[in-house]
Amino acid sequence: MCVWLIAVEECIDVEEMNGKAMSLAAKHPGRIGFDIEVFEQFLSGRREADWITAARRDAFEKYTQLLAQELPAEEFKRLDLRPFNAELFRPVSDSGELEAVSALLGETSDYGGRIVHQDGHAVEVSGSDQLAEKGILFGELQAMLEQHRELLEPFFMRRAVSPDADRFSAWHAAFWTGGTLLYVPRNVEVELPLHSLITSTRNGVADFSHTLIIVDEGARATLLEETASADADSAGLHVGCVELIVERDAQLRYVQLQNWNQKTWHFAHQAGVVENNGTLQWTVVGLGSRVSHIHQDINLAGRASSAEVNGVTFTSDRQKLSYYTQQHHQQQGTRSDLLYREVLRDESRVIWRGMIKVDIPAQQTDGYQRSDALMLSEEARCDSIPGLEIEADDVRCTHGSTTGRVDQDQILYCMSRGITRNEAMHMIVEGFFQEVYDRIPIPVVRDTLSQTVQKKLGIETLAADVMSADDEEF
Amino acid sequence: MERVIGTDELQSGERRSVFIDEIPALVIRIEDQWFVVEDVCSHDGQPMTDGELIDCSLVCPRHSARFDLKTGKALCMPATEAIRVFKVEVRDNAVWAAL
Repeated sequence: MCVWLIAVEECIDVEEMNGKAMSLAAKHPGRIGFDIEVFEQFLSGRREADWITAARRDAFEKYTQLLAQELPAEEFKRLDLRPFNAELFRPVSDSGELEAVSALLGETSDYGGRIVHQDGHAVEVSGSDQLAEKGILFGELQAMLEQHRELLEPFFMRRAVSPDADRFSAWHAAFWTGGTLLYVPRNVEVELPLHSLITSTRNGVADFSHTLIIVDEGARATLLEETASADADSAGLHVGCVELIVERDAQLRYVQLQNWNQKTWHFAHQAGVVENNGTLQWTVVGLGSRVSHIHQDINLAGRASSAEVNGVTFTSDRQKLSYYTQQHHQQQGTRSDLLYREVLRDESRVIWRGMIKVDIPAQQTDGYQRSDALMLSEEARCDSIPGLEIEADDVRCTHGSTTGRVDQDQILYCMSRGITRNEAMHMIVEGFFQEVYDRIPIPVVRDTLSQTVQKKLGIETLAADVMSADDEEF
Repeated sequence: MERVIGTDELQSGERRSVFIDEIPALVIRIEDQWFVVEDVCSHDGQPMTDGELIDCSLVCPRHSARFDLKTGKALCMPATEAIRVFKVEVRDNAVWAAL
């Protein structure tokens, strides 16, 4: 056990504390972000084109301004960031010694191409030459940006995520360390899924990996991305950004499986832009991290564009995972369908704040969002807040959320038919996630999720816990 | 138990934010009594750092839920569940606490 004081929190008398206390962030900015010294040191270790450095400096200026402001209350007030201390983390200028990090998706399927990042730096790229024969660009982001500036600059942190969107996107824009780039030219199909693995191997490393995917008109692609830590004890920080751009008539399937260890802080601003008749299928899996906050925007910018968003979250111990999702219907005839499922164990907490936003031109919109949580302990907590903001008058928008515990009658029903308590618990939790699994048309993802959830369930321990809780009740 | 503060660092009616085993907590002194409670309202899950102290209770600054500093028990709506209180010992001119 460790105890530490917030040294800057001075003694304040009771009257002063009633509404006048200064926020911790304002008193000690080093705890919540990086200062100019860290930035200059970071730049000195970079070898990159001048225009990239200039963009970083602009972003750092915005970041400094945003750092001085409070975070938007509606998005962050339920997330306790007080224990976060940015001083414990720094970006590193190299990938260090190559470490084999076990990947959940990476070990189970063949891919058309693969890229691996370690501590913010690309350490392996495969398949890019074969893909290049079809005009597909797949590889390390910085190198691609420098080689194809004219093509890629208009997209990078311009179309989907803006550097001044919030404090974390500005932080990322100033410090991004590398990432994955996929560009699929017009009417080209990437037949096999591509795989991107982002790993953290050293204690105290701040990773700012970026993912930029552009699927040009009529093109199709699937990219499976996952994050992982080399061990359970290294503390890490990941401030990420994901940009998905789906042009007219294009189709993208993107899966992100977040599996950091429980010492990692994970913040990410993620956005997809879908143009006319484009289709985006986006699956977000949250298994790891100590604290995570994902800002996920789905911008349906073209007529008849559609997006399906799937969320699978499983938390345990004292994990806190927070999602802020927005389905933004900007044009006529757009469709969005979001389904999040969360299972919570121990003292973990999940926060989901979802919004369907419909602009005036977006008539005949069909928007749906739903978040369901299954609580496996009394100490777990889930806050689900769906919302609608509709400016058009001819739309169909529905939303809902449920939170509940495992129904003891269901367990009794199973046991009365010869199924053990362990098997019953397993079936109930698997069944709870099944509806999301059924929406994911990539077998390797479905299978991996099912196996990973089983492992994290720790069925034996879980059933014993439930049994002892029942004994206490009776 | 872990040392959280020196007894001469707070006067009666004062408080200090600390982390105990990564849990945000408030150390509060009222006369010669010391209390250490989790600094998270059980109603909305947010900090109560600036909450008013009334007698031996802490009032959440947002929705006025009130918690007993000795037991953590919720004394009024909208909170219905207790907050965690830490065991406290005063020795060697310091306050020590543990869950």
